[in-house]
Amino acid sequence: MAELALAAPRVRPRPGRDERLMGGALALVALYLIVTLLAPLLLMLAKSVQDRDGAWVGLANFSAYFGNPALSGAIGNSLWVSALSTLIVIALAFGYAYALHRSRIPFRGFFRLVALLPLLAPSLLPAIALVYLFGNQGALKGWLFGESIYGPIGIVIGSVFWTFPHALLILGAALATADARLYEASDSLGASRWRTFTTVTLSGARYGLIGAAFVVFTLIITDFGVPKVIGGPFNMLATDIYKQVVGQQNFQMGAVVSLLLLLPALLAFLVERWAQRRQVAGLSSRAVPYRPKPRRSRDLVALALAVAVAAMILGILGMAAFASLAKLWPYDLGLSLRHYDFSAADGGSWASYGNSLRLALYTALFGSLVVFVGAYLVEKSRVARPLRTAVHLLALIPMAVPGMVLGLAYIFFFNARGNPLNFLYGGMALLVLATIAHFYTVSHLTALTALKQLDPEFEAVSAALKTPFYRTFWRVTMPLCLPAILDIAMYLFINAMTTVSAVVFLYSPDTALASVAVLNMDDAGDTAPAAAMAMLIVVTCAGAKLLHLSLSRWLLHRTQAWRR
Amino acid sequence: MTAPYLRIRNVTKRFGAFTALDDVSIDIQRGEFVCFLGPSGCGKTTLLRAISGLDVQTYGSVEQDGRDISALPPAQRDFGIVFQSYALFQNLTVAANIAYGLENRKRPKAEIQRRVAELLELIGLPDSGPKYPGQLSGGQQQRVALARALAVSPGLLLLDEPLSALDAKVRAHLRDEIKTLQRRLGVTTIMITHDQEEAIGMADRIVVMRDGRIEQIGAPLEIYHRPANLFVAEFIGAMNLVPATWIGPNAIRLGAARLTCEAESYAPGAAVRAAVRPEDIICTGRANGHANSFQAEVRELEFVGPFFWLSLGGGELGEHRLRAQLPSQRARELDLRARDTTHLHIPAQNIRLFPQGVGHG
Ligand SMILES: Nc1ncnc2c1ncn2[C@@H]1O[C@H](COP(=O)(O)OP(=O)(O)OP(=O)(O)O)[C@@H](O)[C@H]1O
Ligand SMILES: [Mg+2]
Repeated sequence: MAELALAAPRVRPRPGRDERLMGGALALVALYLIVTLLAPLLLMLAKSVQDRDGAWVGLANFSAYFGNPALSGAIGNSLWVSALSTLIVIALAFGYAYALHRSRIPFRGFFRLVALLPLLAPSLLPAIALVYLFGNQGALKGWLFGESIYGPIGIVIGSVFWTFPHALLILGAALATADARLYEASDSLGASRWRTFTTVTLSGARYGLIGAAFVVFTLIITDFGVPKVIGGPFNMLATDIYKQVVGQQNFQMGAVVSLLLLLPALLAFLVERWAQRRQVAGLSSRAVPYRPKPRRSRDLVALALAVAVAAMILGILGMAAFASLAKLWPYDLGLSLRHYDFSAADGGSWASYGNSLRLALYTALFGSLVVFVGAYLVEKSRVARPLRTAVHLLALIPMAVPGMVLGLAYIFFFNARGNPLNFLYGGMALLVLATIAHFYTVSHLTALTALKQLDPEFEAVSAALKTPFYRTFWRVTMPLCLPAILDIAMYLFINAMTTVSAVVFLYSPDTALASVAVLNMDDAGDTAPAAAMAMLIVVTCAGAKLLHLSLSRWLLHRTQAWRR
Repeated sequence: MTAPYLRIRNVTKRFGAFTALDDVSIDIQRGEFVCFLGPSGCGKTTLLRAISGLDVQTYGSVEQDGRDISALPPAQRDFGIVFQSYALFQNLTVAANIAYGLENRKRPKAEIQRRVAELLELIGLPDSGPKYPGQLSGGQQQRVALARALAVSPGLLLLDEPLSALDAKVRAHLRDEIKTLQRRLGVTTIMITHDQEEAIGMADRIVVMRDGRIEQIGAPLEIYHRPANLFVAEFIGAMNLVPATWIGPNAIRLGAARLTCEAESYAPGAAVRAAVRPEDIICTGRANGHANSFQAEVRELEFVGPFFWLSLGGGELGEHRLRAQLPSQRARELDLRARDTTHLHIPAQNIRLFPQGVGHG
């Protein structure tokens, strides 16, 4: 019988219209990701082993880099500053998450909101605020005992500020899902509180801790805003790329540094994926949610910590806001809006704010569309399995690629002579493409999560009813995933408003951006207008977030008839 | 015999090196209700997905109504499908769910509405049109899914464990309803189940599968009374399987008992397995008027309402064990107790023999 079956011809499924359309769309998404992501990155890898004229030089660039202590010293700097900041952030965020989820402090909603505020600001903002607080004319300069804020101290504090909510979100998720049965078991075994804490709480959150640590470490080591503003003479990898490329037009060396920066990011990415899988696997479906009982001593400590952290966050934000409003720091502290008129400032304008707004809107619109359609095809289409896997893997790349690296790769690729897409260079479209690519992974994973929650047989039912897949996509899949799509759009909007790292290489005078303007004005010594622009970004993002919340709520209300 | 409506020929499905279906052939007549029955992972769903085109087979052919559909995409085949999970569109009303397939056929609105009302009536939910699936019970949702599949009058209805997600009572009720509906509409139906009672109660024919292969195809009675092999014998219903020796002609030795049976012959002295259903072992008490009788001790007696479970051993059985069903009323007449010795009779036609060790250990 076996021979008979082997001799029979293999059945080759004949594609119908649905299959051809899906396959075509999938190929388009793959092509999109190749052009906007893979090809630029590969070209950049190639550049690191070429000289200025494009001739192959092997590892000459690398040996030049490591032979120059002024350059390679940045590796050590980047590593220890990032490690230290990570340690502080994780400790603070864990305490804060513990206070929010495992204690009975009042005003939890408020504390949560405050902790997430830094998400709305570019990373430049805390650095500017720190200049006002601890700089040469700083209000609290004495607190540093003569140390300078320009350097590692400033970088660490600034980094802690803006990465705090990222750590909190991950650790919050890890602590929010505790299994009460474990605590009861520990209690009934007579374990001390400390032992319960270390064996149950800490070990339950260990994957969250590992994941958060690596995410934060990557964010910091690849961040460019904080060290640029407040790093002073202290070299870091991310600022070095900028200096090599923008300062010295040495693209090859920029490529070398980029590659170095890719390594920790890649490692962090792999560890984070691993940790996330373990975290999910550790949650059994029969877990009983844990509700903390009031306990005075613990709650007081938790409250003190929450208040302190919230005060620091609000203090830094408040300082930036005040700096943007004070007439002439520190001599005339009367309030005015004159710094919001950017005409006198060097490197910023309302036009750049308009550009940022446009960038954010286009990115949110076009990005959520591309991402959602891509994720849909990966998850739900019945065609071309290898292509689906390829698209999924491509979508995961951006997580491991620092913005600076992506920006530099874009220069290489889109500015290359002979690239038919060369005309995009310097235009808004390219900024949009870069920003979507930069923030693709999280959006893609969000979309996948939402799609996975739908019944896997919708597509089968639709095909059985002879209904084209796009009709079901439009009438069923999209409406059911609308909350997730809104979340993606919001995520893209805020990141497009606040990002500096990729776009700093790609803007032209016509497409100057608000976040880059903050950088340039600060660079030119116009710190107060820089603070004003940063605040403008914060306010815009907050407004968008409010809009998003009310839209989501309205949607929930409208659809509650069928949402269970 | 007319040409079969569905001809499945030598269908093999591989997932990499794993063979999920191995050379499966089935003919299904128009209007027939066929159940695929088998343990979890035996390839039932895989076969259904091959028939529907959702996951095309690696080798082999499928013909429906004389048309070769082996390689066609699902949209070009003629079937309706219902899943265990209902797969209802939660954001659409019940009426919109049922109308979903009709709307695509560019029918006039009034006609669609009429058809939806008709189907709602058919599934006994005439007033549920404006509701959302989330507002219905599981059983009701599954009926809506059925109506949605039937709305476009498919030639073939595929049901993948439609009742598994429901609780026992709803299940029994819906089982009858589906059967009635199928009879009424005369639609050729394939239903997957791993519940043998369901299969026996609903199907015109049952396809018993194991490890990607067909073990037996037949009407419920045939499968029950004439299992083709040891696996089917054990899988369907309760069955005693005891080692015995062929002493021929038409006779075996079971322990010390000599029993006649109707079976093909074996080599004298061959080891066989005798398969006897518990309800086919008749307890005659002290009397011993039958040819095919033997004596054994009642080791245990378990009352389960309409009948007793008897655990028999010793006597002529020796160390062999048999389980028998004794109707409660008969047990009262015999006044049977544990440790009693009794005579038992097995009609020759109710003993089936299988070669020892083949197919199952
Ligand atoms: N896409 C796939 N890739 C690899 N193996 C698969 C795939 N789909 C099914 N299988 C394997 O094929 C075998 C048959 O699966 P199938 O789903 O047909 O079983 P089933 O009889 O429907 O079982 P159940 O009663 O649990 O639904 C299983 O061993 C399963 O693991
Ligand atoms: Mg199945």
